[in-house]
Amino acid sequence: MKIDTLFIEKAVPKNSEIDYLISMLKIDPQWIEDSKTVYDYINDAEDPISKAKKTLFITQNKGAVIRECPGTSFYTCCDYTILHTGTFCTMDCSYCILQAYFHPPVLQYFAGLEILGHNLEKIFRQKKIFRIGTGEYTDSLIWEKISPQPKFLVETFARQTNCLLELKTKTVNIDSLLSLDHNGKTVIAWSLNTLDIISSEEKGTASLKARLEAARLAESKGYRIAFHFDPVVIYPECEIEYKKVIKQIFKYVRPESIVWISIGSFRFMPKLKQIIEKRFKHSTICYGEFILGLDNKMRYFKPLRIKIYKHIISCIKEYAPNLAVYFCMEDEEVWEKCMGFFPKKEGELGHYLDKSAVAHCSLNSNFL
Amino acid sequence: MSDQLCKINICDIDITDERYKISFSQDDITFLAQSIRLSGLTCPPVVRPVNNKYIIISGFNRVRAAVHNNETKTLVYKTKPEISDYQCLLKSITALAFKRPLTHAQLIISTRRLHQFLDKEQIAKKSSAIFSLKLNARFVGDLLNISSLPDPALELIHLGHLSFKSAKRIAFFEKEVIKNFLNIFSKIKASNNKQLEIILHIMEITARDAIKPEIFFKNQELQDILFDENKSPGIKTDDLRAWLFKRRFPTIFKTREMVQKKILSIKFGSKIKFSPSQNFEGQDYFISFTAKNYNEFAANVRNLNNALENKELKEILNQ
Repeated sequence: MKIDTLFIEKAVPKNSEIDYLISMLKIDPQWIEDSKTVYDYINDAEDPISKAKKTLFITQNKGAVIRECPGTSFYTCCDYTILHTGTFCTMDCSYCILQAYFHPPVLQYFAGLEILGHNLEKIFRQKKIFRIGTGEYTDSLIWEKISPQPKFLVETFARQTNCLLELKTKTVNIDSLLSLDHNGKTVIAWSLNTLDIISSEEKGTASLKARLEAARLAESKGYRIAFHFDPVVIYPECEIEYKKVIKQIFKYVRPESIVWISIGSFRFMPKLKQIIEKRFKHSTICYGEFILGLDNKMRYFKPLRIKIYKHIISCIKEYAPNLAVYFCMEDEEVWEKCMGFFPKKEGELGHYLDKSAVAHCSLNSNFL
Repeated sequence: MSDQLCKINICDIDITDERYKISFSQDDITFLAQSIRLSGLTCPPVVRPVNNKYIIISGFNRVRAAVHNNETKTLVYKTKPEISDYQCLLKSITALAFKRPLTHAQLIISTRRLHQFLDKEQIAKKSSAIFSLKLNARFVGDLLNISSLPDPALELIHLGHLSFKSAKRIAFFEKEVIKNFLNIFSKIKASNNKQLEIILHIMEITARDAIKPEIFFKNQELQDILFDENKSPGIKTDDLRAWLFKRRFPTIFKTREMVQKKILSIKFGSKIKFSPSQNFEGQDYFISFTAKNYNEFAANVRNLNNALENKELKEILNQ
């Protein structure tokens, strides 16, 4: 969705980053004292979520800039580290948890490259491998066309050896990154889905073909690539459709360039269902065979998850037997039945992915 | 301005004119008639003179009781002929509402009639004085939406076959769909939660399978459940819910059924309970038994030991 309203918090220092953002957005900003004005503006709308997608609030991150992925109880987490650069998204995926996660959702851009740099320096000094991503609370590349931030991050990560930066996206906004000296430390990752799901549930995102073409282009510039099948959506003949997508991946990208592929089935907080029903009247995504999971999120009935996972994994392994494939938030039974092993010990899954990060991104193996 | 207390001929009351009646049904007035015979009329009906006749504003049952007692005259409060319809309606509602809380059906009827004179905000504003109850505009809006439901919606609400929440939910559907839901609820007897579950499952099945709800309602299995003359409305509700669950969650249903069959075939005995985790999401199975004495305890242990070699038990636990 196109931004039509721009708020900037007065406390944000006017510098080249802000000037650049304003000049690229071509909207007169409203300088405000605090976030209340934005919250009121969004809450007053009939559809606050849609309103929020068109209202950008440039502010400073007042919380932790770097934080651990919250994960969820009872299911195995990959020990990811989040670089908090903003919230919410301009694209409009029906299943997006961010619609229900923020109250109200606000499209925030956290200004302050030096703050990011300062916080990252502390991490870079540690003798430990970190997989750091910006795509947890927003899409990593929605601001690539109007912000110097992605470029700044790629160049900052290029100068160290213990951290991998993962930019997770459904866009094809990589132009400003192509010519950078990334030193192999940045992974550009695409969330993928079947053609049916992209067309019916992922409004405003790039097509599958465009995403894969962008992946090929990024690979040609030496970037490492990752893919995320999350959310996997179960519907009649979805196995065939997911296999088609996997086949396409390996038409476009060499297995050696892929750091990992993650898989996670559609899961949601129960309150998201009402939002989807209200905002996406034709979506039937919530009408699968869901049960209440141990973490109080709705999940597909486990035998159904196992069935589709097995199809996807066997297909990936056909093309890339040694590729690191992992589940996002699954339990021991699912791991054992689909992968034949379970990273039981605390941090074991994280270590498994760290090894792939070291191997693909030339990180310091002494930190493993 | 107060109404005039007087005696009038009962034959001068047009009991067929129910324009101010907000109670839904014809209650049994036998006891009321007996009470009036025993202790007299403690609270006379209110009537309005119209074209040489009287129409009842409040006290429909008391007039019927008088007829039942073969009385020819009755004591009434007579309003002025020039009283407005709105005033009469207010008298009718307040007479009941300040005696006891109105039922949902009475609230719906009253609100619908008031809406001829007031918008929903005005109704909400005056609600304390009219209903002896503070209603907000949103709730008044819900009452008005429900009041637009076709027959027999109000009757079903009155009889407890259709809950307020279910009525509110179906009020947003298309006319044909509403009609079919009313048909279903007229044949079963379910609690509010069960009604909402039935509505939810039907709407989700039809959306998921891209079937028009009106086609779904014609399903022979569904019709067989609803029109089974040998089953009580309660049993029909159970059958309907089971059938809908099977359609809505086919894999879960099959898995549950299969595991249940296997558990039964293990023959643990009636004292031992063995069950999988809820929805098969966890990996732990639950087993428990009760024993009143040592012999029962030992019998349970023997049953468990015997089950150890059971093929089905191994299948369940190692699946």
